[in-house]
Amino acid sequence: MASSSSRGEMEKMGIDQLKALKEQVDLEVNLLQDSLNNIRTATVRLDSAAAALNDLSLRPQGKKMLVPLTASLYVPGTLDEADKVLVDIGTGYFIEKTMEDGKDYCQRKTNLLKSNFDQLFEVLAKKKSLADEAGMVMQAKFKQLQAAPTS
Amino acid sequence: MSSSFALRDLQRDLENKANDLGKHQKEIAKNHQLRKKYTIQLGENELVLKELDLLEEDANVYKLIGPVLVKQDLAEANANVRKRIEYISAELKRLDRFIQGLEGEQNSKREAMMKIQQRLQSIQAGKAKA
Repeated sequence: MASSSSRGEMEKMGIDQLKALKEQVDLEVNLLQDSLNNIRTATVRLDSAAAALNDLSLRPQGKKMLVPLTASLYVPGTLDEADKVLVDIGTGYFIEKTMEDGKDYCQRKTNLLKSNFDQLFEVLAKKKSLADEAGMVMQAKFKQLQAAPTS
Repeated sequence: MSSSFALRDLQRDLENKANDLGKHQKEIAKNHQLRKKYTIQLGENELVLKELDLLEEDANVYKLIGPVLVKQDLAEANANVRKRIEYISAELKRLDRFIQGLEGEQNSKREAMMKIQQRLQSIQAGKAKA
């Protein structure tokens, strides 16, 4: 529904219809908000993966380090080759990639997420304004009803 | 006297229909949930396929089976994912048709309920006048 023409349509609707419309749009807004949050957390995870890769590529071979086995138990180890990384691409598949390709993968995924995020954000803004408008028209109708209760 | 019997009958009928409709709506919601799950899986598999398509011929691909990574042929992995996408798409189409049918039934049930309600109202209005 185009939001420019919907104002006129809303004026013609009854209060019940408006209420249903507002509920529906609110539901959609919530759904979109959830999706946006999910995308945001995924972006954060990818960013931290990219940061870890970057960090790893800066260390020389044979570097001593402590490897976490659990959250509170670390064992000493040395860094072997750091130019081959294993990337989880989803549904249980892992791919061996070079360091450069791995970084490129993270970059590509963050870009994809970002474009999705922007698209969703636009839709969300439209839906939100639609919901607000429906609310406003509904309020106006209520006022009209209250002003003339016995007509 | 007979009109009060008819009234009670109609009311019982209405109640049954309302229960029926409620069950139906639950069923629809369940199938929508299922559809959502499949859509997510389809998206994930498509991402994986895109990533596999980008790989060189001799790339190393591993599959996670339980806690172990097992090396797999790229061609095999590719075929696997493709088949999965095919299967999920078919399942989605089937679900779409199913949900459409359910929603059609829901609408006709709702209409039937409206009719009964109208009849109830008209009977009650007639009684009030009498």
